[in-house]
Amino acid sequence: MSSILPFLFDILAFTSVFVIIVLGLGVIASMMGIFNFAHGEFILLGAYSVFFLDRAGVPPWLGMIYAPIFVGIVGLVLERFAVRRFYTTPVAAMLGTYAIGLVIREAVRTALGGQFYNVVAPLDGPIMLGDLSISKWRTVVIVITLLMLLSCWLLFKKTDFGLRVRAALENPMLARASGIAVSRVYSATFAFGAAMAGLAGALMVPLYPLNADMGVTFLIKAFLAVMLGGVGGLQGSVAGSALVGSTSAAFPWIIKPVVADVMVFVLAIVVVKFRPDGLLSKLRS
Amino acid sequence: MSDKIQNDHLESISRRLFAQRASLMTGLVALGGGSYLLQPQGASAANPIKVGVATDLTGPISWGGIPNANVAKMVIEEINKSGGLLGRPLQMILEDTATNEQLAVTKVRKLVTQDKVDVVLGGITSSMRNAIKDTIVNRGKTLYIYPQLYEGKECTSNLFCTGPTPAQQCDTFIPWLIKNGGKKFYLPSADYVWPHTLNEYAKKVIKANGGEVIGEEYFPVDHTEYSASVNKIMTSGVNVVFNTTIPPGVGALFKQLHEAGFSKKGGRLACVYYDENALGITPANEIEGLATCLDYFAAIGDPMGTKIFNNYKAQFGDKSRFCAGGAATGMWRGLTLWAEAVKEAKSVKRDAVAAALDHAKLKDGPGGGCEMVPGTRHLKMNMYIAVSKAGQYKVVETSKMVAPGECA
Repeated sequence: MSSILPFLFDILAFTSVFVIIVLGLGVIASMMGIFNFAHGEFILLGAYSVFFLDRAGVPPWLGMIYAPIFVGIVGLVLERFAVRRFYTTPVAAMLGTYAIGLVIREAVRTALGGQFYNVVAPLDGPIMLGDLSISKWRTVVIVITLLMLLSCWLLFKKTDFGLRVRAALENPMLARASGIAVSRVYSATFAFGAAMAGLAGALMVPLYPLNADMGVTFLIKAFLAVMLGGVGGLQGSVAGSALVGSTSAAFPWIIKPVVADVMVFVLAIVVVKFRPDGLLSKLRS
Repeated sequence: MSDKIQNDHLESISRRLFAQRASLMTGLVALGGGSYLLQPQGASAANPIKVGVATDLTGPISWGGIPNANVAKMVIEEINKSGGLLGRPLQMILEDTATNEQLAVTKVRKLVTQDKVDVVLGGITSSMRNAIKDTIVNRGKTLYIYPQLYEGKECTSNLFCTGPTPAQQCDTFIPWLIKNGGKKFYLPSADYVWPHTLNEYAKKVIKANGGEVIGEEYFPVDHTEYSASVNKIMTSGVNVVFNTTIPPGVGALFKQLHEAGFSKKGGRLACVYYDENALGITPANEIEGLATCLDYFAAIGDPMGTKIFNNYKAQFGDKSRFCAGGAATGMWRGLTLWAEAVKEAKSVKRDAVAAALDHAKLKDGPGGGCEMVPGTRHLKMNMYIAVSKAGQYKVVETSKMVAPGECA
């Protein structure tokens, strides 16, 4: 019994970071129809900016706030100069974003000298509840994720900007004809997706060591989650990431970790077989 | 009018093309052909002895490869300053194997067939050694020196290992862990050859000393979520976590163990490759009390080790220091032993140098002297057990001239 609570808590914490990653990737995939292979490196950039500011003596809280803004701006600039040229050719977009990611990854690797670094969380250590120890920072991550989900929902459902985004998502031609500056909406969406990755990286860096390859680890599973959730809506991404995140955290409790990694993919294939358009396809149609 | 527009357009295209080509060119110049030469200077520079160094300057293992190349450069420059070997200067030819085995095979083939080097040093991971050894030793008929601590069982002729073996890292360390931790061991490991083979040896030593292995688990190298294992460790009364997971996964494991209060409740963390560089990148409170067993620590304070450490620091800065965990000490020993062997053999021919290397000795080096155990191509050396206290290693036990226990 005593092992059930930490089990659930750890799964929830891992899934939380994962949801933010997938949300950023999913929104870009749904909107522009491209898979952003540089998403892992946006996570890396977020983590790196927290580390960089931390070493410069800036309090980590400020770094955490700065990271998504900085990565969002990087995303905006990249969208303006490179990514928007690829919207009509999804395959070229994959290669193009992969190249961008490679440049960022190797640049960060050079900056880090190939080393691995840790950043101490703004709230470090465990909270002890009797015999149970709960990580403070993981609790913060869960809370921030819930807040992010709530504000995303408000942003997309309740604001004028959200309406434009959904219109452009639904039917870009019609949206353009109705006077919505679709290309500007695209820029904003890409920047938003990048900022989400930056935030995920910033939240993650006290939990997992900073190194140039940290984004790659999460990228493939994030793609899996987007595919599971189905391209086209944000709820799908959240559902997909919840499924992939919780299973990849839960499986190692039952089976060998090396096998667990494979099992996540097997499960995904089974789900896709029965729900080829994603978990929430029925809900949407 | 339309002509003008078109001309403007063309001009802007060609300007852009020029900018693209110019940036591509500068990029290529900056990257070079991927190899680096340390040219000897002076009158006899025409006929240098060629030393090939193949290591991971880029990619995930570059944390170890960069200091390796630095150490090689440092040792070779020193030999050249004191007049070279056999009256000839040394020329270092450095190839970046980029943590990529396929690429590495091409790079070492270039070293042995095109550059015709007299010796190859390098490789950090065992998979790298296994990938390149045949090209160097069998097809290339060249001497190969492998500098990293590793899982043992490498008994290829003309391949000399200058890093610690499982016997050197476990024989004294595990009894110490049982005394200073407890009898119940847990072995979280990365899923590749080194942890698997090292664990086989470690388990034997644990059992022989009255210990017990509660669990042994293998993770993908980039695994980040260890909650299941940490929970098993915390609920099964484990005394010692003998870790062989590697970066990047290892940081997450240590953090999660720390958050679960493993060390606080009296558990002992052990990790045999964790050197000062690794210590420097982990928050000190998370690994308080971590124990390790390596061939050199700056904290030993031996005159030779300190001299090398400071030389290295003066030349290459403080970003990654001269440490034992990433083959830097093995590289120093490998090159220095090879130079001694060349002097004794009065030749750089492979068989003559190999014969001299087979019984080569160094009176002094980082952490003390070392000597080849004849017929085994492995080194006897001093081993030190150190414990991390507030982010610094304190040496707690010294074992003189520990036998490698390989290829006997």
